[in-house]
Amino acid sequence: MNTNSLNRTDCPEVKVPFLIFFTVGMVSLAENSLVVLAVILNRNLHSPMYCFICSLAAFNTIASLTKTWENLMIVFADVGHLEKRGPSETKLDDMMDCLLCMSFVGSIFSFLAIAVDRYITIFHALRYHNIMTMQRTGGILVFIWTTCGVSAVLMVRFFDFKFIMICFVVFFIVSLGIICFLYVYMFLLARIHAKSIAALPPGGEGALTLTILFGAFVVCWAPFFTHLIIIMVCPLNPYCECYRSLFQLHVVLIMSHALIDPAIYAFRSAELRYTFRKMLLCLSRKLCC
Amino acid sequence: MSELHNRSQTSARRSDYVWQYEYYDDEEPVSFEGLKAHRYSIVIGFWVGLAVFVIFMFFVLTLLTKTGAPHQENPDAADKRHRPGSCLVDIEDQKDKSDKAFSRPLLTGTRSYFNFYVNEEGQAQRENNREDGGGSFKDRRGTRSSDVMEEEIEDAGTPHPLNGLIEESRMERERVFLSQYNIPNFVNLEHSSTLGEDDLVYEPSVVLERHSQTPCDTH
Repeated sequence: MNTNSLNRTDCPEVKVPFLIFFTVGMVSLAENSLVVLAVILNRNLHSPMYCFICSLAAFNTIASLTKTWENLMIVFADVGHLEKRGPSETKLDDMMDCLLCMSFVGSIFSFLAIAVDRYITIFHALRYHNIMTMQRTGGILVFIWTTCGVSAVLMVRFFDFKFIMICFVVFFIVSLGIICFLYVYMFLLARIHAKSIAALPPGGEGALTLTILFGAFVVCWAPFFTHLIIIMVCPLNPYCECYRSLFQLHVVLIMSHALIDPAIYAFRSAELRYTFRKMLLCLSRKLCC
Repeated sequence: MSELHNRSQTSARRSDYVWQYEYYDDEEPVSFEGLKAHRYSIVIGFWVGLAVFVIFMFFVLTLLTKTGAPHQENPDAADKRHRPGSCLVDIEDQKDKSDKAFSRPLLTGTRSYFNFYVNEEGQAQRENNREDGGGSFKDRRGTRSSDVMEEEIEDAGTPHPLNGLIEESRMERERVFLSQYNIPNFVNLEHSSTLGEDDLVYEPSVVLERHSQTPCDTH
């Protein structure tokens, strides 16, 4: 630790207890893997919308798994079982950072895909089945996963270059803008047409739902990205240092977004809830028998 | 000695680096003296800004919803009044709205179907179709999961061979049609189904049925 009094910081790093990380990680892992399983098992859910939701849940699963594992390793390292700067640990750390980056970028891409899919469902409904075929969906998913994998490797490899971080932040801001625009546009036009059409848009996207959807995304992701911006812009400023000291809180926020994502996207569908019930019933029967 | 001490200090500092916080640069001290504002001012400012943004967005969306509600009430109320026994013109409501672009294609698209149907079907068929239409529309409305915009109407389009059948009585029919037209009802039916050829012929019959059954005084 820094023993020099000049180096003492008035903003000590805020440490989040390991138990919180572990709980959030485990619950989010359980939820998201359940969603992935449900979509794969139920044939009715083999539609583009559910494929994107499944992809989002898969990315969240990877994120929560990796984060929980990383925290376990930190605990072991703190206790002394692991050497922090050993070659194998560094490689492992790099790999975990890769997976985390991949899942972050992937979940943002999945949100984009879900928003675009909903947009096409609403505004090009007749041509929806021609525009969004299962082959195209598969192609889009392959593209998303490949891009995420490649960009994650690049990001971790060349993390020293500021350019990579700038790209990351710009990507986040642009995606945020597109998602915001798509949802607000859908909402506005659906409201206008609700005057003449008494049918509600899918998922009952009223003001509250949309606020929750978008608000959760912004509240959970913006702090982390502001952190990245602050690292680039003002590494030595004491105010910025105080912001950076809350890093662990921001990571918990991202993990909790992986936790609430299924509630926002997946569990709103009756078909998916029905599949869950069936799965749990089958599981309990198997365990009882 | 001092070199060793320095090396051990730097190596101690390096080993003090936390696992993932590689960018925390402990070698360059940050001075906390002479801060004018509170230490956590950026943090507080950031969260306040975020909260304001989310609340603002919520209020904007709610406001948009609320401005839509009064317009929505009129067609619904009018609807309930219409069904028992009278026909009222709902077109005025639609004309006042800014979304004329949406209402016009609906009218042009559906007019031809109305006219086509009026020419082709007889009274008895309408009687038969009515019960079927009521039940199936409920089903379709339940399964249809999205709002369909004017594109659907335009895509359904005007089948050209059918238009030829109705040219002579078109103007007359239009007048009758417009006076009896009830956009919310019709659009509900129109949008709540997957449009196929038989549906397009089928649906106007239900609305027409409702109108024909109720004694209409053209205003």
